[in-house]
Amino acid sequence: MNDGINPLQLVLDASPAVLFVYLILMLSSVVSWVMIVQRWLVLSSANRGVESFEQRFWSGMDLSQLYKEGSQMQKENMQVVGMENLFRAGFREFMRLRQQGSVDKEAIMEGAQRAMRVAYAREEAKLDKHLSFLATVGSVAPYVGLFGTVIGIMNSFLGLANQAQATLQVVAPGIAEALLATAMGLFAAIPAVVAYNRYSSTVDSITGSYITFSDEFSSILHRQIHTG
Amino acid sequence: MSHTYNNLVIYNGYPISIVVAVTFHSVVLAALIYFQANSKPQTLNLVQPTVIKALLIDENPQLRNERILERQRLERLEQQRIARDREQQTQRDADAEAERLRQRSALIERRELERLQAERLQREREQLDQDQLAREAEQRRQRELADAEQQRLRQQVADDAAAIEVARTEFELMQSGTALIQQVVQDNWSRPPSARNGMQAILRIEMLPTGEVTSVTITKSSNDPAFDRSAETAVYRAAPFRELRALPINVFNANFRTFSLIFEPEDLLN
Repeated sequence: MNDGINPLQLVLDASPAVLFVYLILMLSSVVSWVMIVQRWLVLSSANRGVESFEQRFWSGMDLSQLYKEGSQMQKENMQVVGMENLFRAGFREFMRLRQQGSVDKEAIMEGAQRAMRVAYAREEAKLDKHLSFLATVGSVAPYVGLFGTVIGIMNSFLGLANQAQATLQVVAPGIAEALLATAMGLFAAIPAVVAYNRYSSTVDSITGSYITFSDEFSSILHRQIHTG
Repeated sequence: MSHTYNNLVIYNGYPISIVVAVTFHSVVLAALIYFQANSKPQTLNLVQPTVIKALLIDENPQLRNERILERQRLERLEQQRIARDREQQTQRDADAEAERLRQRSALIERRELERLQAERLQREREQLDQDQLAREAEQRRQRELADAEQQRLRQQVADDAAAIEVARTEFELMQSGTALIQQVVQDNWSRPPSARNGMQAILRIEMLPTGEVTSVTITKSSNDPAFDRSAETAVYRAAPFRELRALPINVFNANFRTFSLIFEPEDLLN
């Protein structure tokens, strides 16, 4: 500890510009990890929601019964998410148009499909939220780190110019502090890139299952309207 | 049922995410600091800037010559000391020999006296007492001589060490002065277009103890008149070397009153 350089001391002694870069990178690393964990919770819950709802939907339960269950859940202050929202939006619109005594069957179908499309767009936005932040951190953090490194090395060379005798001891701390900036940039960027790639493929698969479901559901409604 | 998952989504999982992220970073930071503090950077300690210093000395023939002269002087001192030691040893040997001879002749004399004046016991006893006293005095004298000799030798060793110390600091002062002059001259040098790497001119600079330059002459030309002239101009432009006033006057007189500067700028591009 006495003969080596204390890393904490190194960070605290850094020049203001490099310190600022450290701060930005540290902050973006923390925030991107918040996003990573939060997205993981949201996406895994959405995945499970898809599974459980599909199970209930295809269990042969009456559709109005299913709709009532959802309303009951909402009354108990439980949020209804994902595929169930799609179902509820389509079914509500379908029932409402039918009760209004609209004669045009195609108009009823179209209304239900439109309502489902709107709900789908809303759900997709929920899933995609914050993913762009991860992408930004993943691509920008290394550059920010590089910027800190260049500034730090520049500073240490400027300091070297003032020395009569150039020794390694004069430059070494400056270069170490500069390289730390690059290390922090990579530390922030790597998990962000990995998480972004992983989550965007998960979002694709979930939205794909939403689209499939809304197609299947509208075909069920179509059958109902033409037989009923 | 998906109620439990839905509950997580009510909060959108933010509090737990923040806790997890902050904990993760704290753990990483703590681990980094811990390992960094416990690792011993011994390899770094091996790299000392003395190598740079040694190179500087080696590349300057003037300094090398100075050093060789210094070493020769020290060797001469050592040899003188050894010769003096040997001389003293022989002197001591001769003294002892003379003493022995004197004692033997005294003994012979005493026997003569004994034989001649056997009946005079009183005088004989007196004579014996006197001899005894003389011998004791002689022994004491020899011991004192040996003590003094030892003292002198110790003193001489100490003197030599002090001389070496003085020589070293002088050498360092001279070295720093030379480096300073070279630096200042190079800073004031404006490069003629004909200058090339490896060109070398040797200038004799005569200086006053105030650092003022009285004359500059070229003792070894670089075969490029423009280069020589530029070096001379650089010296005049760099003068006076005020920093030399800080040197002790004996160091100045020995090294800088007439100073031979090897002008060889090395940071040229071609």
